[in-house]
Amino acid sequence: MLDVQDIVTAYGKIEALKGVSLAAAEGRITCLLGPNGAGKTTLMYSIAGVLKPRRGAIRLGGVDITGQSPSAIVARGLALVPENRLVFPQMTVAENLEAGAYQRRDAAEVAVDIERMYARFPRLKERRTQLAGTLSGGEQQMLAVARALMSRPRILLMDEPSLGLAPLIVEEIFRIVGELNKDGVTIFLVEQNVHMALKVAHHFYLMEQGRVTFSGEPGKLAEDEVIQRAYLGTSRQASSHKTG
Amino acid sequence: MLIVDLVQSIVDGLLFGATYALIGIGFTLVFGVMHKINMAYAAASVGAAYAALRLIALIGGPAWASLLIAAAAGGVFGLIIYWLCFRFIPLSNPLATLMSTVGMFLLAEEIIVHTTDGMPQNYPVVVRGILDMGEFMIRGDLVFVFVCALLAMVVLLYLLYRTKLGIATRAVSQQPVAAQLVGIRLNHINALTFIVTGMLGGFAGALIGSAVGLLSPLLVIPLTIKGLIVTVIGGLGSIPGAIIAGLLVGMAENVFQYFRGVTERDIYVMLLLFVFLVFRPGGIFSNTVKRD
Repeated sequence: MLDVQDIVTAYGKIEALKGVSLAAAEGRITCLLGPNGAGKTTLMYSIAGVLKPRRGAIRLGGVDITGQSPSAIVARGLALVPENRLVFPQMTVAENLEAGAYQRRDAAEVAVDIERMYARFPRLKERRTQLAGTLSGGEQQMLAVARALMSRPRILLMDEPSLGLAPLIVEEIFRIVGELNKDGVTIFLVEQNVHMALKVAHHFYLMEQGRVTFSGEPGKLAEDEVIQRAYLGTSRQASSHKTG
Repeated sequence: MLIVDLVQSIVDGLLFGATYALIGIGFTLVFGVMHKINMAYAAASVGAAYAALRLIALIGGPAWASLLIAAAAGGVFGLIIYWLCFRFIPLSNPLATLMSTVGMFLLAEEIIVHTTDGMPQNYPVVVRGILDMGEFMIRGDLVFVFVCALLAMVVLLYLLYRTKLGIATRAVSQQPVAAQLVGIRLNHINALTFIVTGMLGGFAGALIGSAVGLLSPLLVIPLTIKGLIVTVIGGLGSIPGAIIAGLLVGMAENVFQYFRGVTERDIYVMLLLFVFLVFRPGGIFSNTVKRD
């Protein structure tokens, strides 16, 4: 579904991504783990078209989308739930959802989808006329996910959806991730919460300092080993195990 | 009777202040969407009123049509300003667009001076007559200006709060990255904002012409300054703030004029700005549209 080949993205002279290759298979949940500053968010923004990669290729369903505008990429069926949610703070919950459907021309279907979102996220229904900036962190995360879903994406990218949320809310978010995946949405997830990520992921990658250093399936590696490789800097040796 | 004259000044000022509100909205809307000041805005607005005056003189037509032509010309000028002063200028440099729009301001003023030999042009009367209300007299043309400005505000608020493009515009002003992620093209919304504010400005320029009875290049600088004062007092990015501040500035101007004469009034309007900058730098409501 999503195929990233040797992407280099730089801020001025500093390369945040130094040749990243990875893939998210259709119908699966793929997870990208790594410490702060590894370049995970840069990668997400590069895929979504907000940042332009200097080199490399990004394919979505076989079509090259490298360097295309975010709006063209949304039109191709990719949606990103950004880090820190980035809801529209002075707009109501309902308006945020309508904004999510900006590219769609089927007003009646959009209205149906908004009701579907309310069914999936009952808290949003309760707060539909409230300004998004007044919601709690967890509610804002739900709203950001629902807003992204309003474009009816084939693949949903999520950048640290658990960031700063209470454990119960995190559980809830990951339950929803699983549900969405069962409904047929391909998911590519960036996480720092290794425990939750490995519970839902079919496949995962480790990233460090702008490079993918490990790739594997959750069952094949103990959780603490993943944590050690991802966050305690032993991944250099581990890179010989690289499978993808 | 002091009190009668004072009330008269206040009412006249409030009515005329509606045009300041329109100019203030134009500054504030562009700021809200792009976080940039369009210094050429008032110059283009007066220019649009001139263009309408010229066209009416050329092809004839009722005086009220000049308001609509000015709005259309303002929209075109807005788009031209966007293309020349913003589209290809690095937005990350805060001074770049400031200088490009100051340049455009000077150019617009020059064009006006050269095409009219610097002479003020009479503006046709759109509405005449005076409402006699006992001790007070209300000028019909000012009421007309006020009602028209109010209508323009209602249309604008409808566009912003009840249409898809309005949602997109607010989305861009509140959270530009997320706006891109839902598929909104920033360039389109920016251009659209310039067209809509340009129309508003052209309309305001024509209303001012019809209320003052003439157009002059000398309107450009005071209108720019009043517009910026309204924007600051209303709070950068706040439309309700700009409306209230526009009426307030119009009223204050007339009251100061009543007490201190036309030559001194602008000193006190500036002083009002100073007071706000010191005690209420965020504007009347102090909750400007933020970007985080």
